Amino acid sequence: MASEQKRNSSLRVGVDTGGTFTDFVYKSQGRIRVLKIASTPTDPARAISHGLKRISKETDNPLKSIRVIHGTTVGTNALLERKGAHTALVTTAGFEDVLEIGRQARPELYNLNVVRPPVIVPEELRFGLRERVTSTGEVLISPTEADLRELLERLRSSRPEAVAVCLLFSFLDPRHEKLVSDKLRELEIPLSLSSEILPEYREFERTSTVAINAYLQPLISRYLGKLADNLPLLRVMQSSGGSLSASAAAKEPVRTILSGPAGGVTGALQIARAIGVENIITFDMGGTSTDVSLCDRQGLRMTNESIIAGLPVSVAMMDIHTVGAGGGSIARVDEGGSLRVGPESAGADPGPACYGRSDIPTVTDANLVLGRFGKEGLLGGEFKLDEMKAQDALAGLAKEMSQFAGRAINAIQAALGVIKVVNAGMERALRVISVERGHDPRDFALVPFGGAGGLHAIDLARALGVPRVIAPQAPGALSAFGAVSSDVVRDFSRTVMLATGRESVSAIERSFQQMERESRRVLKKEGFPNKRQKHERILAMRYKGQSFELFIEYNPRRSVALAFHRAHRERYGYSEEGNVVEVVSVRLRSTGITEKLKLEQLERQRSRKIAEPAYYARVVFTEKPVRAPVYRRDLVRAGTKLRTPCLVTEYSATTLVPQGASAQMDSFGNLIIEP
Amino acid sequence: MKQRSKQFDPTTLEIYRALFTSVTEEMGVALRRTAFSPNIKERRDYSCALFDSAGRVIAQGDHMPVHLGSMPMAVAAALRAVKLEPGDVVALNDPYAGGTHLPDVTLVMAVYGGGSSEFGGRVRKISSRQPLFFVANRAHHADIGGASPGSMGVSSDIYGEGVRIPPLKIVRHGEIAEDLMSLLLANLRGQYERRGDFAAQIGSLRTGEMRLLEIVEKRGARQTTEYAQHLIDYSSRIMQSAIRQIPDGTYEAEDYLDDDGIATDDIAIRLRMVIKGKHATVDFTDSSPQVAGPVNAVEAITVSAVSYVFRCLVGDVPASAGLLDPIKVIAPPGTIVNAIHPAPVAGGNVETSQRIVDVLFKALSQAIPNRIPAASQGTMNNLTIGGIDVRTGEEFSYYETIAGGMGARPSLDGLSAIHTHMTNSLNTPIEALEYAYPLRVRSYKIRKGSGGEGKHRGGDGVVREIESLVTARMSLLSERRKNAPYGLHGGENGAKGVDVIIRNSNPQPDPAESARHERIASKGSWLLSPGDVVHIETPGGGGHGSQRHR
Repeated sequence: MASEQKRNSSLRVGVDTGGTFTDFVYKSQGRIRVLKIASTPTDPARAISHGLKRISKETDNPLKSIRVIHGTTVGTNALLERKGAHTALVTTAGFEDVLEIGRQARPELYNLNVVRPPVIVPEELRFGLRERVTSTGEVLISPTEADLRELLERLRSSRPEAVAVCLLFSFLDPRHEKLVSDKLRELEIPLSLSSEILPEYREFERTSTVAINAYLQPLISRYLGKLADNLPLLRVMQSSGGSLSASAAAKEPVRTILSGPAGGVTGALQIARAIGVENIITFDMGGTSTDVSLCDRQGLRMTNESIIAGLPVSVAMMDIHTVGAGGGSIARVDEGGSLRVGPESAGADPGPACYGRSDIPTVTDANLVLGRFGKEGLLGGEFKLDEMKAQDALAGLAKEMSQFAGRAINAIQAALGVIKVVNAGMERALRVISVERGHDPRDFALVPFGGAGGLHAIDLARALGVPRVIAPQAPGALSAFGAVSSDVVRDFSRTVMLATGRESVSAIERSFQQMERESRRVLKKEGFPNKRQKHERILAMRYKGQSFELFIEYNPRRSVALAFHRAHRERYGYSEEGNVVEVVSVRLRSTGITEKLKLEQLERQRSRKIAEPAYYARVVFTEKPVRAPVYRRDLVRAGTKLRTPCLVTEYSATTLVPQGASAQMDSFGNLIIEP
Repeated sequence: MKQRSKQFDPTTLEIYRALFTSVTEEMGVALRRTAFSPNIKERRDYSCALFDSAGRVIAQGDHMPVHLGSMPMAVAAALRAVKLEPGDVVALNDPYAGGTHLPDVTLVMAVYGGGSSEFGGRVRKISSRQPLFFVANRAHHADIGGASPGSMGVSSDIYGEGVRIPPLKIVRHGEIAEDLMSLLLANLRGQYERRGDFAAQIGSLRTGEMRLLEIVEKRGARQTTEYAQHLIDYSSRIMQSAIRQIPDGTYEAEDYLDDDGIATDDIAIRLRMVIKGKHATVDFTDSSPQVAGPVNAVEAITVSAVSYVFRCLVGDVPASAGLLDPIKVIAPPGTIVNAIHPAPVAGGNVETSQRIVDVLFKALSQAIPNRIPAASQGTMNNLTIGGIDVRTGEEFSYYETIAGGMGARPSLDGLSAIHTHMTNSLNTPIEALEYAYPLRVRSYKIRKGSGGEGKHRGGDGVVREIESLVTARMSLLSERRKNAPYGLHGGENGAKGVDVIIRNSNPQPDPAESARHERIASKGSWLLSPGDVVHIETPGGGGHGSQRHR
C-alpha cells in the first residue's frame, strides 16, 4: 500500500542507552514495539547499530532512511569520570584561574578532609589574552595582532584537542572572542565561544559551561559522527527536552548532558497527556540515585542553575533534582542512635547483602525482607537474590537500633524503618521541586519509573497528598519512548534589562517578534509548517536589585508588573509594590511538533471485573506479613481492577499497592493507582 | 518525666533531623533569591536556624560557621528583651546584647500554631498560645552606618562602628514598623538596598514558619516538639562519643593576632584544653586583655569558634544546642575573647574568630596529630570600598572577604583559593561586581607558591586587584601579615599576606607621573582616587610534615 510505504519511509526509532540495556522503541504495522539489546558500555554505538540493523530488517526499511532520536549518557559519563578531551582555555589576562577558584567556597563546611571536584582545564592549558571590555560594553583594551599570534603559537605547542574561549563581558561585545576564534581556526580543532554558547553574566558559571562544552566536543562528535555515518537522519535528545540534530549536538554537547533523563521525563509526560493528565511529577528511582522533576501545563520546568559532576552548567536544562539515594543505599545506625540511609551506596560490587557478596544492609535488602519483590526477585528471576543474607543484615541493624531505643526491634521493623527513612529523603526531593517552587502536589499525578520507583511511589503520594499515581507499562523503556515522541525544541533568549512600564511593552513585543520570525524560519527549514509550530513567550523578571528572576508567562493584555508581584508573593510570601520591577530577559521557546506515536488501546474487559492474580505471597505492607495477591503485569487486562493490597511484578520493576489504595489497569496498559 | 523523654525511635529521629534541616536550607534559598545586596545574594553571607520553645537551637543550614555558633545567644537576648506575639519580628545587632559585630543583623520570629500570615493561602488547623518554635536568620549588611563606608574600619569604640540595634520589633503583627525602619535607614548608606535586604530576611522567616507549621500539622505539635528535644540529646551523645576518642590530658597552645590597627603589638590568645572522658574544658584565661582597636571578640564568637572546631571532629550531625553540652568554655570578661562594652568589635567576628580556631587546632594537634590540619590562612581579608557612584549619583558600599590557602592535612595537600574555617562566603562575580559598583577588577589569580612546603603542601592564597573608578574610601581588616599561618610536624609556614595600594595605575604610563606602590598596614582606612588600585595577596596555608618525605 502506498500510504503504508510512505509511513515506512519515515520510520522513527527512539534509542536510549542504559547501563544494562539499550532500549529501542518504534512503531511497526500499527503497533508500538520495544526492543531490548544488552548494552556495550565500552562502545555504546555497537549495541545501537546491532539493534537498528535488526529493526531495519524486520520492518524492511533501509538503515539510512530511519529517523533515530537518541538519548545518550556518553557526555555525562565522560564528565563524571573526567575522561574528556585535553582542553585549553583562553581568558582575559589576569583571570586565568577563574575556573579553578570557582566561587571560593568549600563544598562541605565541617569536613577537614574536604576536596574539590578536579578542574577540567589544568593550569598549563589556561592562557590569558590582553583585552578588556567594561560592564557598559565599552572596549578598554583591544587584543593586538601580535598578542593573538603569540596566543596561537602557545596553544599550538601545548597541543590541545579542543579550546574554550571565555572573555570578560563578551556577552556585551563578542568581537574579541571572534578575533580569537578567527586566529585559532588554523589549529583545526573544535572551538567553543562563550558569547555563542551562553551569552550571560557571571564569569565563573559561564567559563565552566563553555569549558565543559569544549571538554566534551571531540568525544561526542566522534561518537555521533560514527553513528551518523550510517544514520544521516540522527537526532539527539537535549537536556531541555526536545531533540536537536546530531551536527548541532556535536557542536554544543553541553546541551545534551541530561539527554538520557530528558527522554524519561518526556516519555512520562507523553503517557500522561495521552490519558488527559496535564500536571505530573516524575520519580525515577534507580540503584544509586533518584531523579525527580515536575511538568505542568507548559511542559518541563527549566533551570539555568544546574550543577553536574560538581560543575555549574548554566545553559537552560530541565529542572531535575537528584538525590544520592536508591536501592543500593546503605543503612546504618550512627553513634547518636539515628537510623541513616545513604549517601554511601553498596553499588553493584559488592552490592546489597542479598547479592550474596556482603552483609551490608541496603534499601533493596529491606524491600526483600518485607517480601516486596514477590517470588521473582529481580529481572524476572534471572537475578537470584539471597534472602537469608538480607535477613541477617537487617537483623544486625535491628540489634543496633534496639540498643538505642531501649526496646526490642526486629528485622521487619528495622526494614520498615529503612524504607521510612529513604522515603523521607525522597519526599524532601519531591517537595523541593513542587512546594518550594510554588506548586501544590495535590494538583499533580506522580509517575514512577526506574527499577525501584513503583515500590516507593504510593507511600510518597500519600505523604504529599498526591491524588493519583500513574505507573506506566515497561517503565524501563520509557526513555526511548520519550525520545521517539519528542518534539524539536529551540530556546531563544535576549537580555533586555528594562523597567516595566508602557514604553517597555513595545520593546518587549518587538524582541519577541524578531525572535519568533527567526525561529519560524528555522523550524520551517526543518520541515515544520506554521500549523505544526508552537511559540511560547516568557519574561524573566525580578525586583531591581535582586539577582534571581522569576519566569512569568507573557500576556500582552495584562500588566506584567502585577503578574510579577503576584508570583513573588506566591513564591516568597511577600511583594513590594513600591519597588521597581525589571524585565531581565525575554525568552522564546519554539517547538516543532512531531507526529506522536499513537498509543494503542488495549482490548477492554467488561468493567468491574477483578483481575486474576498469578499467585499469593507473604508481603509486609505496614506491620506484619499478610498474604497478598501478586499480579504479573502482562497478564492483567485493560479495565480490570486489582485486589489490594497487592504486588504487581514485571520484568524490570515491581509496584507495591498498599492497603486502602485502589488500582486499575487502564486501556493504555498504565496502572492507575489512587493512594 | 526525664526518663520518658529519653525514649525515641531511631527512624523517627532521622526523619526529624532531615525535616528540620531542610526548613533552614529553604529559608536560606528564599533569602538569597530575594535579597538586593551582592553580599547576600551573590556571596551568601547569611545563616538560618531553628530554635525550640526555650530558644535552644535544633537545626541550622550549612551556611556561615561564625554565625551558626553565635546565633543562639541572639535568640536568647531577643527572648529576654521582648515578648514575641504572632507576626512579630525582632531585629538586633548589638554585640553587647546578643550580636557579634554590627553589620550582622539577626531577625527572630516566633512560630505559633495557627501562624501569622496567609502565605500560600493555607488554612492552619492547629493553634497554640505559646510559641512552638523560633526561626531566625542573620545577614551581613554591606553597611550599618558609622565612620567608614561598609562599617568595617578601624574605630576606637563601638559607637564609631555603626548603629547599634538592641532587640526591637521591626515587624509588629505582620506589619513593618515604619518608624523604626526609617530611623534605621536614615543611619545607613544605600537605603534602597538595605530595605530590600530586610524585606528578604523577613520573607525568609515566613518561609520557615510556613514549612514548620506544615510539619506540625502533619505530625502533631506534641511529636514535633518532642523530637526537637531528642535531636538536642542526640547531638550531645554524638559529641560525647567524639570527645571520648581524644586521649585524656591537658593540651596548651597559643598564637597571636598581628595588631589591633591602633597599636602594633602582638595580641596573645592562650588556651588550656582539658580532655577528660567525654567532657572537654577550654580555658582562655591567660589571653590578652581587650584592646583599643576593633579585633575584640565578644563571648558569642569565642563559643562559636569552639563549637566549630569540635563540630569538625564529628561526622554529619545537626548543629543543635546539644553539641556544646559536653564542652565548657572559660573566657573571662575583659579579655580579647570576651570583650566588654564599649570595645570596638568589627574584626572580632571575622579575624579573631579565625585565630581562636588556629589555637584550638594547635592544641588538638598534640592530642590527635593524625587528624588535625596545619593552619589555614587565618583571616578573611575584609575589604570595603564605598563612596558615591558617579554613574547614578547614589551611595555605594562594597564588601568582600577574600579566600586564601587551606592548611595541609595529615594525608592531603591544602586546597588553594578557598575560604576556610569560620567563613564560607562566595566571591562576588567580577561581572556582577562591575555592574553594581564603580569598580574594576584588574586581576584575580591564585598566588602561586604561597602555601607552606611539607610532605603535604599548604594551599595557595589569592591575588585580587581592584581599581576604583571614583573617589572612594577603602578599609581593610586583615591578619597574618606579620605572624604567618603555622605549619605542623615539620611543615613550613604559609606565606604572609601583602597589601598594596597602587596609586595612579592607569595603563598609559606618563614618565613624570608613573604608578606608585604604597605598602599599607593590615588594618585601616585610606582614600582612593580614580585609577588607584588595591592589590591584596592573601596568605597561604601551612604545610604538614617534612618536605623530605614528600
